[in-house]
Amino acid sequence: MGLQNGYFRPTSVDEALDHLAANDLTIAAGCTDLFPATEQKTLGGPVLDISGITALRGFRKNETGITIGATTTWSDLIAAPLPSAFGGLKLAAREVGARQIQNRGTLAGNLCNASPAADGVPPLLTLDAQVVLASKAGRRVMPLADFLIGPRQTARRADELLEGVHIPASALMGDGQFLKLGARKYLVISIAMVAARLVIADGVVAEAALAIGACGPVAARLPKAEAALVGQPMDPGLINASHLQGYLAPIDDMRADAAYRTTVATELVQRILGRFAESRSA
Amino acid sequence: MSTVSMTVNGKVVASVVEDRTLLVDFIREHLRLTGTHVGCDTSQCGACVVHVNGKAMKSCTMLAAAADGADVTTIEGVANGDLHPMQKAFNDNHGLQCGFCTPGMIMSGIDMVNRYKAEGKTLDEAAIRAELEGNICRCTGYHNIVKSIQQAAGEM
Ligand SMILES: Cc1cc2nc3c(=O)[nH]c(=O)nc-3n(C[C@H](O)[C@H](O)[C@H](O)COP(=O)(O)OP(=O)(O)OC[C@H]3O[C@@H](n4cnc5c(N)ncnc54)[C@H](O)[C@@H]3O)c2cc1C
Ligand code: FES
Ligand code: FES
Repeated sequence: MGLQNGYFRPTSVDEALDHLAANDLTIAAGCTDLFPATEQKTLGGPVLDISGITALRGFRKNETGITIGATTTWSDLIAAPLPSAFGGLKLAAREVGARQIQNRGTLAGNLCNASPAADGVPPLLTLDAQVVLASKAGRRVMPLADFLIGPRQTARRADELLEGVHIPASALMGDGQFLKLGARKYLVISIAMVAARLVIADGVVAEAALAIGACGPVAARLPKAEAALVGQPMDPGLINASHLQGYLAPIDDMRADAAYRTTVATELVQRILGRFAESRSA
Repeated sequence: MSTVSMTVNGKVVASVVEDRTLLVDFIREHLRLTGTHVGCDTSQCGACVVHVNGKAMKSCTMLAAAADGADVTTIEGVANGDLHPMQKAFNDNHGLQCGFCTPGMIMSGIDMVNRYKAEGKTLDEAAIRAELEGNICRCTGYHNIVKSIQQAAGEM
């Protein structure tokens, strides 16, 4: 068997980086995006299966923040004790496929697959997430917003492994929420989804992070809406369509048309903010 | 080609397979355990659900090599002399019609009951319906499947 059919399953990062430096490889983690996209019985070309790198599974916490390793699954994330700023990411985790998908699929795979409808992205944007890219040449860290270039396009070089996702300590404050709109309740790809992380002190919004997905080539933060909230008592009515203008570039596709997405975007932002208003008065 | 070895239904099995063989093909074609079904090619239907190290997974989205060293249970491995309470419950409640989805339903059912028990949570009807999101049945309308899992949850 030549490299054509090569399959590597390293148990350490160093070993994985050696393989990536030497060959052009398809990285496989949970394979829950790879296989359905393959449309064949097997993956084409040589494969680097990273699911055996146990050192990359789980969460590392230090004074700079929390790092989520590349082989951490959605189920791992749901089960992990994490600050309530991660509330949105945990809700998103429960919406990725179903339990059997969450048991295999990874957060890192969700990012590298770079679907505009990837549910992990908006909550991670509200957490100011950075990705750590490792290669034989060294490591580089970049904001998730720069890593995601377009549909199915990332800034990852072919010899790089996304080693982990880092949430800086400054973004660990407040509470996170996530809200997804699909054509039905279960097992569905998002028409649009929003995430929010708010720090509310004495009823007043001290910090706001909002992000929207599936309404443009990549998910995006909503700085104008964020600015409209900060310093005000929590009220979903503070946001209207004008705050989203310029940040949405939806397309027509099989799930919804652009006009519908534009309409629901504002509605979703208001609804997610409503959850914070409710929890405050409760 | 590589040798993969794992425990399937309590027995150690080893086989030389093409590197990118799916776990479901390994189970069906190499081990001839054809109770695990394939109903789609998009990882949606759940007919192929098995347990890998005690967790429900879709064996159509997993490489056999990625299960090297793992402990795998298929539908053939759940009965212990007598039918498993989940199997019996599907029988008692007419939880199947054509039966194509049934192995996956039973494997997912066992997984959810075990998980809720371990977490000390109650698996009520609404929870069962939500948990079944990864398993599709085109015959029953789910009603009797939910009843079956409810019965088994009381007996497991
Ligand atoms: C039935 C079903 C329902 C789904 N529902 C949803 C949903 O509701 N929402 C949603 O967002 N997604 C959904 N998905 C998609 C998928 O489950 C997720 O995107 C998942 O997080 C992908 O992770 P994975 O580990 O399986 O990635 P893989 O399939 O293994 O990999 C995905 C891509 O990322 C690359 N890659 C993976 N890890 C790395 C790494 N560490 N470094 C560099 N490159 C890497 C791979 O080469 C590949 O291109 C669904 C999938 C299925 C089958
Ligand atoms: S065959 Fe695996 S989910 Fe359909
Ligand atoms: S019984 Fe026929 S698919 Fe479920």
